[in-house]
Amino acid sequence: MALSAATTAATEALKVNRAPTGVNPQEVHRWMQSFNWDFAKNRTKYPTKYHMANDTKEQFKIIAKEYARMEAIKDERQFGTLLDGLSRLGAGNRMHPKWGETMKVASNFLEVGEYNAIAAAAMLWDSATASEQKNGYLAQVMDEIRHTHQCAFINHFYSKHYHDPAGHNDARRTRAIGPLWKGMKRVFADGFISGDAVECSVNLQLVGEACFTNPLIVAVTEWASANGDEITPSVFLSIETDELRHMANGYQTVVSIAHDPASSKYLNTDLNNAFWTQQKYFTPVLGMLFEYGSKYKVEPWVKTWNRWVYEDWGGIWIGRLGKFGVQSPPSLKDAKQDAYWAHHDLFLLAYALWPTGFFRLALPDEEEMQWFEANYPGWYDHYGKILNEWRALGCEDPSSKFIPIQWLEKNGHKVYVDRVSQVPFCPSLAKSTNTLRIHEYNNQLHSFSDDWGERMWLTEPERYECQSVFEQYAGREISEVVVEGHGVRADGKTLIGQPHVRGDKLWTVEDLRAAGCVFSDPLRN
Amino acid sequence: MANYPIHENPTRDEWAAKIDRLTTLKDASKAIKDFRKDNTSPFRKNYDLDIDYLFIECKLEEKLADMKGQHMKDDDLLTKTADGECPEEISNAWIAKMKSAKDKFVAEKVLIEFRQTYKPPVMPVNAFLRADATLGSLLMEVRNTDYYGTTLGELRKQRGVRVVHLQDGLATA
Ligand SMILES: [Fe+2]
Ligand SMILES: [Fe+2]
Repeated sequence: MALSAATTAATEALKVNRAPTGVNPQEVHRWMQSFNWDFAKNRTKYPTKYHMANDTKEQFKIIAKEYARMEAIKDERQFGTLLDGLSRLGAGNRMHPKWGETMKVASNFLEVGEYNAIAAAAMLWDSATASEQKNGYLAQVMDEIRHTHQCAFINHFYSKHYHDPAGHNDARRTRAIGPLWKGMKRVFADGFISGDAVECSVNLQLVGEACFTNPLIVAVTEWASANGDEITPSVFLSIETDELRHMANGYQTVVSIAHDPASSKYLNTDLNNAFWTQQKYFTPVLGMLFEYGSKYKVEPWVKTWNRWVYEDWGGIWIGRLGKFGVQSPPSLKDAKQDAYWAHHDLFLLAYALWPTGFFRLALPDEEEMQWFEANYPGWYDHYGKILNEWRALGCEDPSSKFIPIQWLEKNGHKVYVDRVSQVPFCPSLAKSTNTLRIHEYNNQLHSFSDDWGERMWLTEPERYECQSVFEQYAGREISEVVVEGHGVRADGKTLIGQPHVRGDKLWTVEDLRAAGCVFSDPLRN
Repeated sequence: MANYPIHENPTRDEWAAKIDRLTTLKDASKAIKDFRKDNTSPFRKNYDLDIDYLFIECKLEEKLADMKGQHMKDDDLLTKTADGECPEEISNAWIAKMKSAKDKFVAEKVLIEFRQTYKPPVMPVNAFLRADATLGSLLMEVRNTDYYGTTLGELRKQRGVRVVHLQDGLATA
């Protein structure tokens, strides 16, 4: 069979440009620089409305000289610490169990993001025309492979050392039933690798990395430490040391298209949509994981958000790109409002649907409730009262046969899923900016929760066709769905998700079945 | 939606049997094109198979790829469609169609129809991705220009949705 054009070109290039036989860094560097990506008739297989310039400079001058050695040392330090020091100290069991559960979500989900970042950076390699720019993206591919391993290793380590491994191991098997998965795939997968190649760079590098890795990868280490987790900081800070270069790649993407006046027609739209896409999921989910998935609080999420997202990114980073015509996204203002209440809204729904998770959730205790009220005045009268009512109805105890989603249904609080972000929302209980709109199109009903997302769907409906769990499982009894979706532990009867972090009173499939809870599609009932 | 398991259910069994009965390259290629037109994209004929369509489409692709392997010459796998057409000619014709589309709503139908008809394994992946990238780039240029120039209310009308519900306080225009 014929070789692909790319393989032939690479083979030909190697023939004329022999690899150096020595390991002199300068010589190796020169050799790599002289590599020519300029295949005859080079045409990327990814669509884009932008034209990338051919004369941008690479950001990875140090690849050949320093890169591999630097990364090897980082890996040695990190894996050495985990496998020797932290194992002997029993670090895998010293964190508060609420946090141990949070890391089931944080590291498994970030692993998906890293995995798709491999593909995204490779796609940019394919799309760029300047060879030096290609080098920058290619080195990011290697970084993202490292990060994928690192995230997987956190869950692997926890699986071996944490007292409750279910969910640290093999979280993916529950991906069809957990409502948080689909939104995560929207930001971490679709956002990075579908659509315009430059739009993907904006999603991944300009927003995902430059904006959200600060709260996601840096702030999480502070919460981890406060809750006794020494493992996560060792790994996540090692990841973050690579991110600066990825942010620089994003900067370089913008530089490479800024020469073309036509770029200005699209760039700020793509940035606004990318920011809204990423924040729509991360703002509520990270806030929920930090504040509801910990015992010891670092600072209110809204403060972290304002510092990293609003001031550092929206002000300083975007400000630096101002000379290329980049403007702060108009959706930032709406996002700022959501940073206050959206994560509380989401926790209500996540807790109400706890059996579909691959992690345990717990209600805030008395002391935590005081913290919430002190930092979010008005919290108790809205959220605290509901959570206390659920507790009084016995939601934690399997003998109660009560799942909070039944309370929502009984009280007329319908839970919808936003077609675009796949984030669930409850219009009658939300204090965030979510507002319900339902459209019928080609005999199909669609719900949306904000102007920005609705516009994205109205403009490009074929990009947002994901079904919600309520559409998928309408009419089906919940325990049956959980069994089918692999939400059961190795003993064949205990659920992976639990509504508390105690050692006893674990819910089984039988307990869940006794609740008699049936999925219904809010768009049809 | 149907009240049965996702992974093993009567709809999938029924389609698996139908796919088994396809014996010629021509039939397999027609079956996948028809299936995609009826059951995929926002313009599909109906949503009856919404839960199962991706699985069924994947099984149809497997079948067609398998039959191409059996019935086509190695070199033709990279240079001809399952129906023996020349991918370059087809791509050029569709690119011309895209360029002459009078507005973005016509243009998006061109791309979607191209995908429903030629997505691999109907067309070899090397040729398909290049054509798809060109069509996609052209479509994005028309769809993403003056993106905020239309109000949501107007955009709903242009798209042709029936507004079923707007929460109190939301502007209708
Ligand atoms: Fe990464
Ligand atoms: Fe990265």
